[in-house]
Amino acid sequence: MHWDGACYFRNMAVHWKRFILILVAGAAAGFLWNAASGRGFALGRSVLVQAGDELVQVADARTLLDRGALFLDARPRDFWRMSRIPGALPLPEDDFDRGFAEAEERLRRASGIVVYCSGFGCEASHVVARKLRERGLIAAILDEGLPAWQDAGLPVDTEPRS
Amino acid sequence: VSALLRSPRVHLVLRLLLGAVFVYASLDKIWDPAAFAKIVYQWQVVGPVASNLVAVTLPWVELLAGLLLIAGVWKRESALVVALMLVFFIVAAGTVMARGIDVENCGCVSLAKAGAPTAWPPAWMKGVGWFLVSRNLVFLAASLVLVLAAPSRQGSGSHTETARQRAAERAGLTPASGAGSQGGATQRPSAQGKT
Repeated sequence: MHWDGACYFRNMAVHWKRFILILVAGAAAGFLWNAASGRGFALGRSVLVQAGDELVQVADARTLLDRGALFLDARPRDFWRMSRIPGALPLPEDDFDRGFAEAEERLRRASGIVVYCSGFGCEASHVVARKLRERGLIAAILDEGLPAWQDAGLPVDTEPRS
Repeated sequence: VSALLRSPRVHLVLRLLLGAVFVYASLDKIWDPAAFAKIVYQWQVVGPVASNLVAVTLPWVELLAGLLLIAGVWKRESALVVALMLVFFIVAAGTVMARGIDVENCGCVSLAKAGAPTAWPPAWMKGVGWFLVSRNLVFLAASLVLVLAAPSRQGSGSHTETARQRAAERAGLTPASGAGSQGGATQRPSAQGKT
């Protein structure tokens, strides 16, 4: 090959096939790894949702609230102090044992339990629901959490608590 | 500056650094795809299922592009892949910052939970903020050098080489068309630029 100018630049041009191939090969390796390594996870649903998790949508959660279900706020306690779904008790993921001791009596009597956290991407409500399940209590997880509740125009209690 | 950006040595250093960063950053994510998927979801840039797809594929593209950069194979194309990813990272960080979302863990390099505040690295270095964006802009600049500036062909000392070449041209010793003072199978034995 002659190292003349034209050839030089042709040599250095971006080969789009290679570019695409890097992306495709990388993605294929990822899917293969996810399927075959044993470290993968189900891709078709939110990664926060595990087997046994029960999700409830805002409209149904509203019905449950009207029927007297007990709501639990899985966010850090300071958030609960500022605002909460009316009647919700604090049961933060990071302070579960204390919150559970405080709420256990009412939880055992509750006709239904709904846990929520700060929505999209937050796992606290899932973790709390699983811990409750270990203790024999079935709790539904409010899908998309408090933001979805607010977006639906449902009431939020903003009276400060200590 | 142009000579510096085209220096093969600079290209080598940039390639190895960028490649190492991307390979290292991919390992944690590859090892625990579900944990990475949760972090992608927390960025709230894409929905739950799309987050999963990003979490499964992105680390492998990072790994592949990083390895190619280190190996020096398909340099331009792998640098372009890296640049493209960095553009996405910067835009995503910008939207996270603009919307005021608190991403407790960037998930950019390590998936370790933020946990208790530590003296080092401080929170501004771990979270999504200006530090992250600036760092990614530096990486983006490096990758664009690799994409856009074709390295001069001489192995080393490109400055002195071109200067010597020009001096030789002025002296009329080599053809001004620059058809080649540098090595190649077709090199005429009479070429003067060669040392």
